[in-house]
Amino acid sequence: MTEMHDRDSRTGGLPLKEALFLGFCAVLILFTRAALRLHLQISGHSMFFTLFFLMLARGCVSYRLSATFVGVLSGLMAMVLGLGKGGLLIPLKFLLPALAVDLAALLVPGLFGSYLLCALAGAVASSTKFANTVLVDWLVGMDQAVLIQRGLLEAAGAILFGVPASLLIPSVIRRLRAYGVI
Amino acid sequence: MRGESGRARRAGLMLAAGAERQTWLGRRLPTGLVAAASVCLSVAAFAARTAPPMVGLSAVELVMALTLCPQRRRLARDGARVLAWQTAVIVGLYALRYGATEWHEGARISWQLFLAFLPGMVLLRSTPAPRLVQALNRVMPYRAAFVLTTSLRFVPLVLREVRAIHEVQLLRGARVLPRDLARPWNWPDLVNCVLVPAIIQSLALAGEISLAARARGFGCGERRTYWPGS
Repeated sequence: MTEMHDRDSRTGGLPLKEALFLGFCAVLILFTRAALRLHLQISGHSMFFTLFFLMLARGCVSYRLSATFVGVLSGLMAMVLGLGKGGLLIPLKFLLPALAVDLAALLVPGLFGSYLLCALAGAVASSTKFANTVLVDWLVGMDQAVLIQRGLLEAAGAILFGVPASLLIPSVIRRLRAYGVI
Repeated sequence: MRGESGRARRAGLMLAAGAERQTWLGRRLPTGLVAAASVCLSVAAFAARTAPPMVGLSAVELVMALTLCPQRRRLARDGARVLAWQTAVIVGLYALRYGATEWHEGARISWQLFLAFLPGMVLLRSTPAPRLVQALNRVMPYRAAFVLTTSLRFVPLVLREVRAIHEVQLLRGARVLPRDLARPWNWPDLVNCVLVPAIIQSLALAGEISLAARARGFGCGERRTYWPGS
């Protein structure tokens, strides 16, 4: 009976407890993103917390699409609340790095135990900002040369903040494992 | 459920919080309409750049808070606390980056952010969780809607726990004051003394909410039931 109840309280194959933890990660991404909406003209700074929570979600919950789940939830909430530039394309800002994190975790099993692999995965996930920026600028009709330069600059800023965030993950995951929490 | 702990019981009470406490207007307006108005006001706050639309928006949001929020004094207290902290941080950062003369720009951004969040605060405090889930259920699966609304509802509790952990670690001598964090060699203290305990606490809280929800029959049926229903 209890087993059936546990199975029934799953969210798309994900236990409710873990789904709720992923929900907290999604809301905290938005919270930190909004708190950093300071117009300090430092490009890519919001990637720090976005990538930290995406990688934390995938590292803590052994579900193949944990980061994507967080990305979809936070993307939808950001679109509804009008956070960030990009209108209806805002969910892509969260979804693309989330998919990169999930893909990296799928391809490299020991990802969250290694600083080097985490930094690489963080760099790849952050560089998805290039695709997002180029797509938005292309849709508004920007000149192609400027569009690519701007995309590269935005991606460089995102990598600059995304890599340090991903370097925090191995020590955090190791400690959580040591405490027996995950 | 026999295994339900005191904290899980409290989580269960929070799940149903506000079920009876609604204003006269709040009971009559459809939740979808209030949610849509809240979204529009948030978007308008981000779009407003000059004083006249911001003043107009402030007036509209004040009326919304007064007519919909049942606990106005509590909302005012929490809002003032958020605004004071946020203004101090933003004005400080603007003063550091652009000089003290630009403080008013920082204050404007802080007020704009507050206007963007106030409708959400009013919506969450004026609408019982079951009605919010019911409204979201029209656009997403009910389990995902439950996760979304529950996460939003419990984030203040998570943040309170983080603040408590921070204060306790300060008493233990951890170097996690803002002035300590200006030195990068103190950052490991932030990770080890605040971040890791906060994640553990969030996982524990998620477990307790899940236990409380299951004890109340969440997931027993194919379709979600609501109380009070409509």
